[in-house]
Amino acid sequence: MSEWVFRVILLPTSDCNVACDYCFEHKEPHRLSLVLVPLLTRRLLDHIENEHIEECEIYWQGGEVMIMGPAWFEDAGKIMHRAAAERGRRFVHYLQTNLIGYSPTWNGVIRGMFNNSLGTSMDYPNIHRKLFKGGAAAYTELWSRKLRETKAAGIEVGVIAVLHRASLEEGPEKFYRYFTEELGLRNFQVNTPFPGGPAKEVEGGVQLDSSELAEFMVGLFDIWMAEGYSSGVSVAPFDSLVDHFTGKQSRLPCIWKENCSNQFISVDAKGTVAQCDCWVTSYPEYFFGNMFREPDLTGMLKTSRARREFVERPKHLVEVEDCLSCRYLSICHGGCPVRTYSALGTMMAKDPYCEVYKAVFACAEAHAGDILRARAAPIISLRERHKTVDPCCVN
Amino acid sequence: MSEEAHAPVSILPSALAETEGDQPFVAIVRTRQELCRWLDNPPSNLRWLQVEGMLGDPEAWAEAAHSNSNIPLDVVLSDPALEFSHLYRLVDAYGVRAIRVTIPAAPGLTKAVRLAAALRLSVRVLPGQPSAEALRELHDALEFYLHEPTVETPVEFFHSVLATLCDWDAGFLWTILEQDPDAFRRCSADEQTKLARIPDSDRSETSAGFVENHLNHLIATGAECVTCPWQRPCRGYFKWPDPAYSCEGVKKLFFDIQTAGNEIRQNVAFATADKEMLSQPQEAAQ
Repeated sequence: MSEWVFRVILLPTSDCNVACDYCFEHKEPHRLSLVLVPLLTRRLLDHIENEHIEECEIYWQGGEVMIMGPAWFEDAGKIMHRAAAERGRRFVHYLQTNLIGYSPTWNGVIRGMFNNSLGTSMDYPNIHRKLFKGGAAAYTELWSRKLRETKAAGIEVGVIAVLHRASLEEGPEKFYRYFTEELGLRNFQVNTPFPGGPAKEVEGGVQLDSSELAEFMVGLFDIWMAEGYSSGVSVAPFDSLVDHFTGKQSRLPCIWKENCSNQFISVDAKGTVAQCDCWVTSYPEYFFGNMFREPDLTGMLKTSRARREFVERPKHLVEVEDCLSCRYLSICHGGCPVRTYSALGTMMAKDPYCEVYKAVFACAEAHAGDILRARAAPIISLRERHKTVDPCCVN
Repeated sequence: MSEEAHAPVSILPSALAETEGDQPFVAIVRTRQELCRWLDNPPSNLRWLQVEGMLGDPEAWAEAAHSNSNIPLDVVLSDPALEFSHLYRLVDAYGVRAIRVTIPAAPGLTKAVRLAAALRLSVRVLPGQPSAEALRELHDALEFYLHEPTVETPVEFFHSVLATLCDWDAGFLWTILEQDPDAFRRCSADEQTKLARIPDSDRSETSAGFVENHLNHLIATGAECVTCPWQRPCRGYFKWPDPAYSCEGVKKLFFDIQTAGNEIRQNVAFATADKEMLSQPQEAAQ
């Protein structure tokens, strides 16, 4: 059995209960019926059996997943668990939600199905995440209350923050303090933005200037290293990069994998299969197929012409871009296809945030060097002391 | 792909390998059908598959990624300048089996080594008797292997020669590169046994003790090997097939590896001394 894990970003609905003005998803009221869950499960199990994989990770997100209700998840989880156990396989579930629909009725399913943890999102400052009534300020207030409630219920919460122009204007210090001090988080992730999906007016402000973004990211990295790293605060992707450069096992984000096409797929409520949630919600021209209509997911992934472009992208980049001469090729591979496609209209180019990534990698490498030198410091100081007192070393 | 030195391993075209019996062997596959035949049902004496001329076939690599067996692959590039980017096709298959990339010293070598290292694939560089252009590629590839901190996997022959020059006996070039006829014998389609080093050659110098005889002959005829400081790891490798080949360029390769080896030995000595120093205060306290 392969040690690989197959990952599925599963969108049981594209419907959403909020009105974030930079959302790239094509919102639809369609919901995944429980009647279709056994079929979906069978297709996934067939595929991981074909691939000799034991475990399948399901990342539930939307739209907004909590629209489905806790009872739906309880039933879906049972169906999937039973079917997997019968075939000697295993599903591991993760939940990504905007938290707006959270109430204590979710606690049981979060504990039982999601290992008592969830992921959510918030930006600083929040100007783009909005409720249908009340706008961004009301959203922030409601979300913050829900966050406090989940934490009070003992649920472990990780937060994804998407940077935007106002984040850069506020600066990394205020940004860091908001998440760690005001929200009291020990674990958050910073994502670079991209103008996915149909063009909208706000998207002009989504793509950020690379040098300004790089300066912000490096500043945030430095603050985290100075204040958070040794006290157990985790900021992704900085933590994985430090692990990598200090020689530890690391799990880098999907944007820097050698080929994201072998990492995961995304499936929406209608059974549409695409590379990730960004593609399945925004770019029909890159759909791989439909899981409910085509019986063989393995065959679909093998033969999809759309998927072939993802598979061939890194190969193309080392031929036409300067990636091959980059010392960070092994941890980047040209970056994210969807960030590239949404900015340039083609995925066959390197990620427009190349310079940002290089700055972050260099920063991580420098901090890792400091960590390794600090570890060696007692030895070096001892060596120096021996040199001063050892007569053999005088000459 | 290291191999015990006892029974020589036969390197055979796929069709001939069908009748190999119990002896250890490597099957050379050149088509998707041949690849699938061995992936699906590998006998226990199959050591690995030598895959030639197939990097351009994405379907073959999809098969290699989905097969149930974990038989290792040695993927041979013939033209690294043209083929290097195809190495990305190995990523999925590498998730389920060991894969090594064999690259001739030719234009594009450095590109192929850089990408293979970025993908964490181990590498075997076949230097042959390198031309001036190939030597430049070898020097660039060696510099990359020795000094680029992101390299995590071995690049042979640099890796084992470095170990040998650091006094960890990792063999000599003929064995490191799996070209010593006492350990590896290549059979052609007409069932002639050839020297593994130049498979298309019509020379059949496969007698026992070939490397020893070759080196003794070089020394007896006054070749530069007599006074060469790298004779131990080389054993006349670069003097075959043309004994008049000038080793000036390859000696610089050995020198650079030796310099790096000296630095490593010095660092190891420091580390050992540090360890002893760290234990001293504890002893004093007792």
